[in-house]
Amino acid sequence: MTKLKYDVVVVGARVGGSTSALFASKSDVDVLMLEKRQEIGTPVQCAEGVTYNTFETLEIKPNEKYIRSRIKGANIHAPDGRCINYEGGVAEGLVLDRKVFDKELASEAAKSGSDIMVKTAVKDLIIKDHKVCGVIAKHLGETIEVKADVVIAADGIESNMARMAGLKTIQSPKQICSCAQYEMVGVDVDPNYLEFYFGENVAPKGYVWIFPKGDGVANVGVGIRSPDKTPLYYLDKFVSKLDAKPVELNIGGVPLSGPIEKTYTDGLLVVGDAAGHVDPITGGGIHPTITCARIAGEVAAESVKNEDSSSNYLKNYEKLWKKEVGKGLSQSAKFRKMADKLSDKDMNLLAEFIENQDIESISKIAALKFVGKNPNLMKLLTEIL
Amino acid sequence: MEVQSEYCGYCGSCVTVCPEGIIELAENGLKVEIGCTDCGNCVYVCPMGALIVEKDDD
Ligand SMILES: Cc1cc2nc3c(=O)[nH]c(=O)nc-3n(C[C@H](O)[C@H](O)[C@H](O)COP(=O)(O)OP(=O)(O)OC[C@H]3O[C@@H](n4cnc5c(N)ncnc54)[C@H](O)[C@@H]3O)c2cc1C
Ligand code: SF4
Ligand code: SF4
Repeated sequence: MTKLKYDVVVVGARVGGSTSALFASKSDVDVLMLEKRQEIGTPVQCAEGVTYNTFETLEIKPNEKYIRSRIKGANIHAPDGRCINYEGGVAEGLVLDRKVFDKELASEAAKSGSDIMVKTAVKDLIIKDHKVCGVIAKHLGETIEVKADVVIAADGIESNMARMAGLKTIQSPKQICSCAQYEMVGVDVDPNYLEFYFGENVAPKGYVWIFPKGDGVANVGVGIRSPDKTPLYYLDKFVSKLDAKPVELNIGGVPLSGPIEKTYTDGLLVVGDAAGHVDPITGGGIHPTITCARIAGEVAAESVKNEDSSSNYLKNYEKLWKKEVGKGLSQSAKFRKMADKLSDKDMNLLAEFIENQDIESISKIAALKFVGKNPNLMKLLTEIL
Repeated sequence: MEVQSEYCGYCGSCVTVCPEGIIELAENGLKVEIGCTDCGNCVYVCPMGALIVEKDDD
């Protein structure tokens, strides 16, 4: 058995893992990042849309190597076909090629000093006196023991690490948005706008998205929360109307419950999808993941320098990420509860109200008048408030 | 619970909802250890319809 010793071990090498590794090694500690797949970034489990603040948090300039499209806004299609155009704001950003981006981010971590092993699956945690102090991994049939002061679990939705450390990570199936997506060629859409389609027949408790990647290529996907039929069923139904051909099928689940109860324990931090760092309304996880993963990397490095990786020290991580994204995530969770209750009729009414108005300049009085005339929406709003 | 492995797309959604913690996305496919209670959580979230739980007929 090979035995290794590092200050920090990161499990998983996609956006969460690479960000933690990058910022931990920037703080001058020894970092090893382990990825079970043989290629970082595959298979893609993402529509690949990001906001610009992702790159501000990373302190990296977006690179043409992975930018597929620059997004100026979104077109939102109500169940009755009405279309609302939304310019700028939260809809502004980039559509990436995540296979290139994820690998690039891992390379940044490597350049700042992190060691990386691929095709290396972590199978177990080393726990001594209730403290996580390393991992047991398998690489090409060989068992590797890696001792570390801090383990960062960035192992995504298929996460086992946090659970092994005794944290409560199990998700209710109703809180998982089940997704299927084709990357398609020959999609006739504006390359600078995201398209969203809503409706019980299109995507129950979810939506259809088209994220353009230039040259008539786009990610066309469906996310639903309903056990009756699979998202693949709804996706095939939707794309049958498009004269486009698939070149890739991506599937995955997005945890919409908001963050797990506790994201740290003695010797271990949890980040990204594994920690529920995903916006419950949009399903966007890249920005919250990167924000929290950066903090995890920095706190892990500080704890190494202070020779204290106990729960008591590492709780700083949770305090700091909550300060950055906690409020936003819980507000989104509230809105999602409201959105869950909207019927197709409610959505059509809302779309009718917003149509032809500049969303930013709708007055509070006009909005209240509208809600007042629609008892179901009024009831929902009062419940939320 | 039964896995129709030819449908599985290897996404890991089933792992996160299994209350027994018996599903692992291993190198060569989905590994399910003993202890399944047929609760159906994994079936609910699988995007590919790869998982089946026998329903009681009563
Ligand atoms: C269909 C879909 C569309 C989405 N679209 C968007 C979008 O457009 N914009 C957005 O912001 N977010 C989107 N998201 C969410 C976003 O993709 C995730 O929130 C984000 O990728 C989470 O990153 P992560 O690093 O936490 O986890 P992951 O990306 O899941 O990475 C986990 C990594 O850990 C590895 N791993 C797991 N277990 C082990 C182990 N035992 N040993 C070693 N390695 C291990 C895995 O192989 C994987 O590489 C989407 C999600 C889905 C499913
Ligand atoms: S049916 Fe329930 S217990 Fe059995 S594998 Fe699926 S989630 Fe786990
Ligand atoms: S949820 Fe379905 S497709 Fe995904 S890993 Fe589990 S069985 Fe396979």
